[in-house]
Parts: sequence; structure tokens; C-alpha cells
Amino acid sequence: METREFGDIELRRVREHVWEIPQEGEMNAPARVLASEALLDHIGDDKTLEQLRNATHLPGITKHAICMPDGHQGYGFPVGGVGATDTTDGCISPGAVGYDINCGVRMMTTNLTYEDLQGHEEELVDALFEAVPSGLGGGGVVKGDAETIEDILARGMQWAVDAGYATDDDLAHCEDEGFRDDARPEFVSQKAKDRGRNQIGSLGSGNHFLEVQRVTDIYREDVAESFGLEADQIVVLIHCGSRGLGHQTCTDYLRRIEKEHKDLLDGLPDKELAAAPAGSELAEEYYGAMCAAINFAWVNRQLIMHRTREVFADVFDRDWRDMEMRLLYDVAHNIAKKEVHEVGVDPEGRPVRDGDAVEREERELYVHRKGATRAFPAGRPELPPAYADVGQPVIIPGSMGAGSYVLRGGDQSLDLTFGSTAHGAGRLMSRTKAKQEYWGETVQDELREQEKIYVKAQSGATVAEEAPGVYKDVDEVVRVSDELGIGDKVARTFPVCNIKG
Amino acid sequence: MGFTLRDHTADVAVEADGESLGAVFAAVADGLTAAMCDDPAETGDRFSFAVRAEGREALLFDYLDQLIYERDVRGVLPAAHEATVRRAGDEWVVEASARGVPFADVDARDVKAVTYSEMRLAETDAGWEAYVVFDV
Repeated sequence: METREFGDIELRRVREHVWEIPQEGEMNAPARVLASEALLDHIGDDKTLEQLRNATHLPGITKHAICMPDGHQGYGFPVGGVGATDTTDGCISPGAVGYDINCGVRMMTTNLTYEDLQGHEEELVDALFEAVPSGLGGGGVVKGDAETIEDILARGMQWAVDAGYATDDDLAHCEDEGFRDDARPEFVSQKAKDRGRNQIGSLGSGNHFLEVQRVTDIYREDVAESFGLEADQIVVLIHCGSRGLGHQTCTDYLRRIEKEHKDLLDGLPDKELAAAPAGSELAEEYYGAMCAAINFAWVNRQLIMHRTREVFADVFDRDWRDMEMRLLYDVAHNIAKKEVHEVGVDPEGRPVRDGDAVEREERELYVHRKGATRAFPAGRPELPPAYADVGQPVIIPGSMGAGSYVLRGGDQSLDLTFGSTAHGAGRLMSRTKAKQEYWGETVQDELREQEKIYVKAQSGATVAEEAPGVYKDVDEVVRVSDELGIGDKVARTFPVCNIKG
Repeated sequence: MGFTLRDHTADVAVEADGESLGAVFAAVADGLTAAMCDDPAETGDRFSFAVRAEGREALLFDYLDQLIYERDVRGVLPAAHEATVRRAGDEWVVEASARGVPFADVDARDVKAVTYSEMRLAETDAGWEAYVVFDV
């Protein structure tokens, strides 16, 4: 059997791109890493594997804790991690969702071609930068009062439709139609609401961005047609999350878990894995608060998309509807959701790995995806009618100097990853090192002169921290996803304009 | 005595030391400020606050969380931190202040949250040392 060793962790090769850390000691399940040899070298280079192994200690973790091909070290649970826990006798872990609840991406298509846009790049990037709040203290598209915040938390994108910022067609092309009805705004703290109030419709900073892109490659013509994608088309990708409201919600519940479920926490190898037992009052309250923060994030991205439509209308001097600026899809990549999955069980009905199972049963699980994207294939009831027969779109952003990808949920995803795939390129280099290696203005100049990519940011340091060289090779991440059949390549895009905080 | 920003694949870590608990708390907070801004302006008014928690590590976590909260609701970058820490019965208390630099005066970027990941707060021969990872 082929093995790889990283420190005290031995990985056994199960088959191509599938590696396993066997269950031992206090682990409640084995862990799996989905990666090529090249990606595994990066994944083994920091604490990703240790964090993945720690994640298997979560009570009720089912089948495997899984690391996606773009996985890297996070805090507690690794980024690129997927962990499904039983909703009856398992747990829900804010640490396995992450601070930026419903951080995610959406893509909007247009009927413009790259030729239509050429000559307007500078005007467009300036106008977008002016119109879309970004960075620290940049405010939001909407200044929310208490009532507005409550409404957004309770109704998500339905609020945006009523307020004139979204259309019914937008709702029909968003995960969960932009609304979690399990949302319980009363379980979101006042502190979190205070932080969210000034940030409704804002990018933030870090790796969040808005990018105008052109479609460069189509890999599956039939699926691309269903998604409304064609070569040379202009699309817009928006990447951000629930801002301070979501960050505070995660923080609040980590601290409550520390105080109210210390026994469970003491049994876990990392405090950041903080989990509330399934069925506990705290688990229910966190789930309700998290779902409310999910709604907030959808509205956040919707308001930015609304502003983008207005900017395009100004720059190209025509109504955005005439440019067919339609939401392709909006997908979350920091989330936990109750989902029903088929799992193998032992004679006592306990979920076990497939080789030890005597039969298969449907179980309701909290599927935690932290830096991982849901990738459901055709046939899952959660999919909107537009994609029910083709599989859901999955959007994988690359760095601002590399391509991004549109995939569709692959047939193998339910078996291998509880219906999940990667969420991006994955970082390779620390932010502190990036600032030593790169200078923001130089990165901007090189991108414009060599690649015709126009970048505008609030902070030069952010450009340096997000330079293309700090990320893994997104092509390799997507190749592994495609070859495993968890997310199939549909199209590739390349940046034209990029704004960030 | 002071802080150093340390490498972390996706986020930012601060290593700090100080002669007292209050000094190391303030040094970590200065590191948080440095993670958001390379060169904070000398403008802004000072503000004060107090935080209570059940233990020293929890207090450090809550203190840094409160600073991030104050940043967002006051619309300022907290800088030039001062802190004193004392025990009060079953709890620990930090009494702290910072200068709130208006966002308009600085080129700053977001730090989302403080984390417990790899957090260390320990007494040394020279005082106290701490290590904190922030989510960016």
C-alpha cells in the first residue's frame, strides 16, 4: 500500500486522488484528503492535516472528515473541510462553519462580449470601485435601521425583492432561493446586529472581491448552454460574506459553548472546534442564528449585484435588463445545513464507513462546509427547477491573475463528499510573507500591462496579500475535482476588472 | 517588550510579550492594529471600556473581540492601546483604552475576528507572553 508521511500523520492511498488517515485513538472516524500528489505536498506543508485529524473527534461525525483539493490550514477545522454530523446524537460546530457565515460567491451573466467591453475597462473599474462599498469602514449600499436588520435576517432575499433590489428571477437562481426559513433573528445578538447595520451591501477586504470576467473556455457545451454561458461572454463574480454580523455571531456562540458545554469542549483537541450537542438548546439557537446570518450574506451579495447592474447601465448607457444581467447562481462556502444523505450503518444502526456497513439508510446530518462548496448533481430535491436536470452550478474563484471556473455538481459528490467540492485556489503563502514578496502597485501595473487586468483596491497591502503568486494552482484544484467526479468542469473565465477592499 | 506579526497560511498571528498581564494584552492589541494598518495616523480621541470574563485566556479573547466590535460601531481604527488586568472574585477584568483613529485618516483593512486557535497566554521570567491568531 502506498503511503505518505507528514510529521506524525501517515496517509494511505485509497485510489487516485483519494488519501486516508486511518481511524485511531480518540478519532470517531477516519479522515480523507482528496488531492493529487502535487496538491498533497502543499496540504502537508502546514497544519491542515493535523486540523483535519482533530475534526474527526467531533461527536457523531459520519463516515469521514474530508479535506477538499484546495484545503489549507485554518483555525480549528481546516479551510476546505467537510464534516457531516448526526442531527440526533452528533453536534453542530460553529468552528466547522467559520467566522464568515455564508461567505460565498455568485456569478451574474450578461449578453455583452469582451469586444463590447474593451476600451471601457478603466471607466468600469473606477465606477465599480466608487459604487460598491469596500474595505474597512466603507459603509454599505443600505444604511439599516433596527427593523431593516430584523427583516433581512428573517427573510433574506425576499426582503431584497420587496425593497426593489432583487427580482423573482434572482431568487430562482440562488441556493435555497436566497432564504433560510430556519432563521431565528432573535438568537442573533445585539452586538452582531450593531456591527451589521453599517455594512449591508459591502465587500469588506481580505480575499473578498468583485471581478468582471470574460469566458475563455467552454468544456461541456450542453451544460454551459443550460447555465447561459458561452465563449467570449462577460460575466461578473462577487465574493463576500456576512460581514461583522456573521463574524460576531460565530464569536458569540463559541464563547457560549465554552461556558455552557465545557465537558464536550474539553474532549476536543482544539478549542476552535467548539461544538454544541445535537438537540441541545444551544445547538438549536446557533442553527437559527446561523441561518439568519446566511440570509444576511445573501442580501449583502444581492445589494452589491444591484449596484453592479446600475454601474453597467451608466457605463454602457442602457438598461441592465437589456444587457440580460441575470444571476447564474449564488453558492455558500462557509455553512452548516441539515441535509439528508444515504450512509452505511452497522447491525446496530450506527453510521460506519462503507466497508463495514451491513445496509444503507437515509440520515439527517448537519453537513458542515468550511471553505467548501455544495456540489449537488442532478436529481437532488434542493436544486432549483432551472438546474434540476443538469446539476447545480459551482463557482470556483481563482486569484486575480488566474482564471476562475464554473463547474456543475458531479455524480460522485454524494458518495465521496456529502455533495461538496472545492471553493477556490487555496492559499499557499502567508499574508505577512506576501507583503515582503510583493508590492501592491507593482502587482497592479504588471497585471494591467501584461494581462490587461484592471485592479483597484482600497489598500495596496491587500493587493500584495492577494497577489496571484500567493495562491495554489486553481487549474490543478479543478482538475482533481473533475477527475474525481465531485464537480465537473463546465467553463473557465479570466479577469478583466477587479475591485477589492 | 511588544509584538511581532507571525506567518499563518490564511490569517495573521500576533506574538507579544509584556511585563504585566495588562501590558501583554495591550501589546497583542497593538499587533491587531498593525494587522489592519501599516501606519496608523496620530489622530482621534481616546475611548475606554472594561470587559469581564471567567479566566485569563477568555478575558484576552473577549478584550480583542470588544476592540473589533468598537471598531465597527464607532467607525474608528483602535490604536495606542493601554490595559490593566485584575482579578475580581471569580472573574478577571480588563480596564482598557485606545485611541480611535477615524477611518478617513487611514488606509486600513479588515480583520474579521479573534480566534482561540493556537492561543497561548503564559507567564515567563520577564512577565507574560501571548500568541493569538486572527481571522482575516
